[in-house]
Amino acid sequence: MSLAEAWEFFRWSILAILATGVAAPTLGGFLFLRRTSFHGLALPQFAAAGVAVGFLLLPTLVDLGAFGAVAVEDIASDTHSAHGYHLLFAALGTFTGLAALVRARDPLGLESARMAGAFATASALTILCANASPFGEVFVHGILTGESLVVGPLELATLAATLATASSLLFLFRHDLILVSLDRETALITRRPARALEMLLAVSVGSCIAVGTMSVGPVMLFGLLVLPPLGARRFASSIRAFFWLSSGFGLISAGAGLYASFWIDLPPAPCVVAAAALSALPGALFSRPS
Amino acid sequence: MAEPRDAPAVGRVVLELSDVSLGYGGEAVLQGVHLEVRAGERVAILGPNGAGKTTLLRGLVGLISPMKGEVKGSNSRFGVVPQRERLDPIFPITTRELVLQGAIRRLGGWHRGYSMADGERAGDLLAELGLAPQADLPLSHLSGGQRQRALVARALLTDPEILLLDEPTSGVDRQSTEVILAQVERVAREDGVAALLVTHDTRALQERVDRAWRVDSGTVQAELTVAQGQELQEPEVSA
Repeated sequence: MSLAEAWEFFRWSILAILATGVAAPTLGGFLFLRRTSFHGLALPQFAAAGVAVGFLLLPTLVDLGAFGAVAVEDIASDTHSAHGYHLLFAALGTFTGLAALVRARDPLGLESARMAGAFATASALTILCANASPFGEVFVHGILTGESLVVGPLELATLAATLATASSLLFLFRHDLILVSLDRETALITRRPARALEMLLAVSVGSCIAVGTMSVGPVMLFGLLVLPPLGARRFASSIRAFFWLSSGFGLISAGAGLYASFWIDLPPAPCVVAAAALSALPGALFSRPS
Repeated sequence: MAEPRDAPAVGRVVLELSDVSLGYGGEAVLQGVHLEVRAGERVAILGPNGAGKTTLLRGLVGLISPMKGEVKGSNSRFGVVPQRERLDPIFPITTRELVLQGAIRRLGGWHRGYSMADGERAGDLLAELGLAPQADLPLSHLSGGQRQRALVARALLTDPEILLLDEPTSGVDRQSTEVILAQVERVAREDGVAALLVTHDTRALQERVDRAWRVDSGTVQAELTVAQGQELQEPEVSA
């Protein structure tokens, strides 16, 4: 498929992927600096699980009259019309996961094991609920494999507004967040509202993941949240350079992955993640001793 | 360098603890603590590991509330020099970016950034502490002593009324130790900043502090006198 044809048919999806490519690595950069990159992996899976649970509950909710006289087949067949419904369940899944991950913190060092357990549970729940739902299997399978080329203007607008709001808030409170992440006790002594700042970060990341999962899928979010900051860390000599490089690597990965996806006719999400992995490769191969 | 704002008058009591008990989860670590710190004073806090020095510091700055008694002055402007090992090496932060964090209370403008004036003061402090050539290097490229000096510069940029230094000379080369203690002395003398230095290293602090407290066995046991040219020693017991 030529680029002109791709733009003609998939412009909303292309714009959504490029916007995610710029913004997600910034959010992932904060997760990286706080050593919570695993959240970038687990939370999109929780969002997908939320969507799958939503599909499972859909027939029951329609029977109860939650959607008026609309038939369940109509809602299930047109994902754009049910955007708000799926988004609600993606958000429920994300914030349930976030609460579980926050509770997983413990002084015994079991945090990573608990996160891995939560990730495995969310993955299994996604597949079970999607398979148990008469309508959700195809849609959830599409999300999981990165068939993200069904984005319309409404989904793009929702995604762009969420990413822009979250990025702006994190930009405004960047210095406070960095101090809280680097040296929490000093931040508290200098009267920074550490808990409120951590909550702001969690809600910003959670919102973007909930909306992003619905638009570009969890696989692409995994890759763009985690890999560009990993690659940027190797080359960045300052905090400012770290965030600029993360965003730059993310945008290049999104663009290169999309191009490859149209060129070799494969789903865009794995292609974008593969490109992001390539951008992180030099840092991994030539890591300097600390 | 610009004059610090609202420097406290030398000799005024800036921090006072009256019969204070401090601890966690209802269990007291320190009991019956009576202390006072005056502006311009340099006080060492000595004691073995686990004696409660950190608990005392957390109580002084208001991070934990006293279980009993009263802490006056915990709302003062504190400049903190933490143990440098506490800084996560994963951060690609430059020395200048670290020092500028001292001005975090003064962020301004639509973008909530540091002011030009604070940028210049950070540059001045870096020069005074001998770190001008390292200002734009990543912190991970600096030696332990240089990192410690950068943390002192960050604490001084807060315009502190009280400076808290946690093991400021531990594992630090002689040159850095001298630079750090000279800066503490300067701000105490010129700006009336009270300095509390938590340390094991009594040798480096000889003649560099006015008083010392020993924290042990659940309380601040004794106030040590500092005689000119001598080691820190227990006060003589009067008959």
